[in-house]
Amino acid sequence: MKRCIARLGLVLALAARDARGQALAGRDRFEQRWPFAADGSVRIVNPAGRIRVIGWDTDSLAVSGRGPGSLAAAGTANVRKLIVTGRTELEVRVPRGARVWVKSASADIDVVGVDGTLDLNSVGGGIHVVGTPADVTAETMGGPVELAGGSGRARVKTVSGDILLRGASVDLGASTLSGTIVVRAAGWQRGGTGVQRGHFESVTGDVRFDGELGSGGIVEVESQSGAIALRVPAMTVADFDLLSIGGSITNRLTAGVAERGALRFSTGPGGAQVTARSFKGNISLEAK
Amino acid sequence: MMCGDREVQLNEYVDGTLAADARALVETHLAQCAGCREAVAELRGLLVGARGLPRTIEPGSELWTGIAGRIGKRETRNGKRWGRGALAAAATLVIGFALYRLLPSSTVFSRPEGRGWVAVEAEYQQATGELAAAFATERGRLEPATVALLERNLGVIDAAIRESRDALARDPGNVELRGLFAAAARQKVELLRWATRAAT
Repeated sequence: MKRCIARLGLVLALAARDARGQALAGRDRFEQRWPFAADGSVRIVNPAGRIRVIGWDTDSLAVSGRGPGSLAAAGTANVRKLIVTGRTELEVRVPRGARVWVKSASADIDVVGVDGTLDLNSVGGGIHVVGTPADVTAETMGGPVELAGGSGRARVKTVSGDILLRGASVDLGASTLSGTIVVRAAGWQRGGTGVQRGHFESVTGDVRFDGELGSGGIVEVESQSGAIALRVPAMTVADFDLLSIGGSITNRLTAGVAERGALRFSTGPGGAQVTARSFKGNISLEAK
Repeated sequence: MMCGDREVQLNEYVDGTLAADARALVETHLAQCAGCREAVAELRGLLVGARGLPRTIEPGSELWTGIAGRIGKRETRNGKRWGRGALAAAATLVIGFALYRLLPSSTVFSRPEGRGWVAVEAEYQQATGELAAAFATERGRLEPATVALLERNLGVIDAAIRESRDALARDPGNVELRGLFAAAARQKVELLRWATRAAT
């Protein structure tokens, strides 16, 4: 009897040791939790299904998954890697200040309430971020990208997916070939600076910038054939430089009229600089 | 124990996402740091562990089948991957230099107009040709829908480049046209790089 108990203890000890580095799950559900630094780095690979990352005010990292998949995890309190196999609905809770890196093939990526750095990559899934991360890089070929809330710096890239940037961001960059880009830039957060730097480019997709420009800010928009629409507050102080080689330019902000495909004017010194260039897309400028 | 400031870099090293120069620096560091070597071994063990996990469903997509297979082959494939990465980087340097030469500068205007343009075109064609060949080799690893999306958008960007090139042929001194052509060409290079990276 004692020998049986000893063997059982050994088996349990070995199982516990295995569980330290690798969490094997049942068919439908798994959960794991580890202590984690407030600014720790978590790297997540989940090819299919869905990934939801949530920032919380707790110095720990918690993972739960649902669906026919399995989780492998390893790392320390400063960096941890999570690899999921199978099609899994994955939820990962991280400290708000964490650095998060996610890679997926078809899985959608949702991030909520993380203030650290986000590096999000998908081939075909969508990417949605809500919150005020310090730095966001989001790339997906076919899926849409939406950033809501604002960030210190954001770089977004798609091939055909639409891009929507909402909120009070300081430094924005977005690039797409055939998707659309919509920027709704508010100036009420992060000191109310408005966009200090913005670069938006598309080939065939339309680009719409609707929002406040930071004093001294620089906004550049380029398209090949997509239309460019700029809406700024009526009292905006800026130098505007608009050019479309084959398209039209419509100005409803001031009385200025385009000549030979170009319109350049200033509404006052020391303001922002707005540049729009298109090969054959139409450009419009109006007050919001 | 690994060096505190190396954690992310070591993960990227094991994941194979570091550029060649950064990778070389890490390898130099690993030769001198037992803690970081231990951390790398642990991270590699995780990849091996992931390979051994039970797969309760068969992935429905062609892409995931490829990824699952390569998790186990990462060690042996690194050389090939970095070769392609180096090719992409080299091609980018070439196209970057070519596009730089397209932009208005004293050096551009000091060259004979026609000859400079021909040289830039040749460099661009070579760079995109090499990247396109790399992508053609790897495209089978992507889902058909992704390949279709990429081909459709490569067609879009090619049409844009063609339009800009034709316009430049009519007005070769137009600085704005050069800028728009440069932007379209850069986007094509970036798309090919991205496609190749996604496939590998």
